[in-house]
Amino acid sequence: MRKALAMEFQKTRRRKVWVIVSLLLVVQLLWSFWGIGRMDAHERTQGWMFFFYQFPLLNSIMMPVIAAVVASRLGDIEHKGNTLKLLSTVMPTGQLFDAKFLCGAFYLSSTVLLQVIAMIAVGCAAGFEGAPPALKLGYYLLFTTSVSLTIFLLQQALSLLIQNQMIPLAVGILGSFAGLFIMFFPEHLERFILWGYYGVLMFVRMNWDTTTRITEFYYLPADWIGFLTLIVLFGIIYLIGRTLFIRKEM
Amino acid sequence: MFLRTIRAERMKLKSSPVWLAFFILPILPAVMGTFNYLQNIGILEEEWYSLWTQHTLFTCYFFLPAIIGVYCSYLYRLEHLNHNWNAVRTVPIPVSYLYFAKLVMASLMVLLTQVWTGLLFVLSGKLCGLSSPIPPELLDWLFFGAIGGIVVCALQLCISLIIRSFAVPVGIALIGGIAGLAAVAKGYGVWFPYSLLCLGMRANHPGGPMQCGVFQFALCCLFYLALCVAVAVLWMKNRDVVAG
Repeated sequence: MRKALAMEFQKTRRRKVWVIVSLLLVVQLLWSFWGIGRMDAHERTQGWMFFFYQFPLLNSIMMPVIAAVVASRLGDIEHKGNTLKLLSTVMPTGQLFDAKFLCGAFYLSSTVLLQVIAMIAVGCAAGFEGAPPALKLGYYLLFTTSVSLTIFLLQQALSLLIQNQMIPLAVGILGSFAGLFIMFFPEHLERFILWGYYGVLMFVRMNWDTTTRITEFYYLPADWIGFLTLIVLFGIIYLIGRTLFIRKEM
Repeated sequence: MFLRTIRAERMKLKSSPVWLAFFILPILPAVMGTFNYLQNIGILEEEWYSLWTQHTLFTCYFFLPAIIGVYCSYLYRLEHLNHNWNAVRTVPIPVSYLYFAKLVMASLMVLLTQVWTGLLFVLSGKLCGLSSPIPPELLDWLFFGAIGGIVVCALQLCISLIIRSFAVPVGIALIGGIAGLAAVAKGYGVWFPYSLLCLGMRANHPGGPMQCGVFQFALCCLFYLALCVAVAVLWMKNRDVVAG
């Protein structure tokens, strides 16, 4: 497995996969700087909660498309070179699927980890009230990584199963769109769409007073049932995606 | 000769399901945006204008540029595969025709998407029971939106011509769309190609005039179109193909 994983990283050399994930990070940071620049003293007291509200929204817009792009970069290399059949003669097909997943997961997990580090750095520099809430940051890291990896797993299965990369990318874009819109719907509906889980696992909500125009954020308990549902979804997608890939004619 | 190039492009797209993405894309905001409008009817008081914002805001900034990116990548996919550039470049037609034919196909798809968006908007409004007449500016929004969309097509075709990957131009389109949102918010929308789509569609301010003048909008669109055509033609004329 280690060899297979090393091989996947070899394949991504000079393919600049990290450029696209870095761009995502830069855009998100610029967006948050922009938000912080317009904050008054009252809003700064709720700065950390603002981050936990804003970043899942940004992730639901951008992360699914970025996951689709990374999955397509990793899968398309095999379609272009017609290498899947050859690879299946030298290694178990399931191992190839796992190695590709771990390789992509490395890029996406690193992005989420860097997001958290950037949040702490920006929050401290901007003078948000209180120390960085370690437990909440841990929740954010866990939830965002798990949603992103589940979406990535689906995208990877599609990118490997379907030669025409237009289809997985269109699924990624439309899914992201539905996931963003469903956030404005009654909460229980979010659970029916995988892309809506950035919203399901968001543990901060906002009250906006229309008369005073003051925004109040508040914490909710972490939604562990939502998290468990996501883990089950991950398992189902993994089993189905991997089995279909193994049975596919390469 | 040019018509035959377009015919060749049509043949390449035959039986491709790519149109399906453009068909589904406006349905999502039409259903969900209308539902959201009905939920917040107390705050959204401007009837058709509020509904238009619900239908188009997210689409213009985030998702239509990305879907256009997918379509443009798909248009160049066949050329980038195998050794097809060798075959394409030995056909006795001017290189500009190769680019223009793809631009015509992408623009046609944008025009059809705009018509579909308009139809869904009117249908949703009627189903919501909006009593006021359909805004007369609707055709303007769709027309200028289509012009902005064609500029995005021209730019994405350039990117997909230069970058041989299928997915990277899609990522660039998404990030371009988000940067377009910032450009519009700062008042520089007209100078940024990805913002022209939402400026033209008046997604964030349908009731009033465009953030810039119509003349300035048209001039910027023409400038970016000419720039993209020039870059694409010069690229194809001066660079040897990378086949395989």
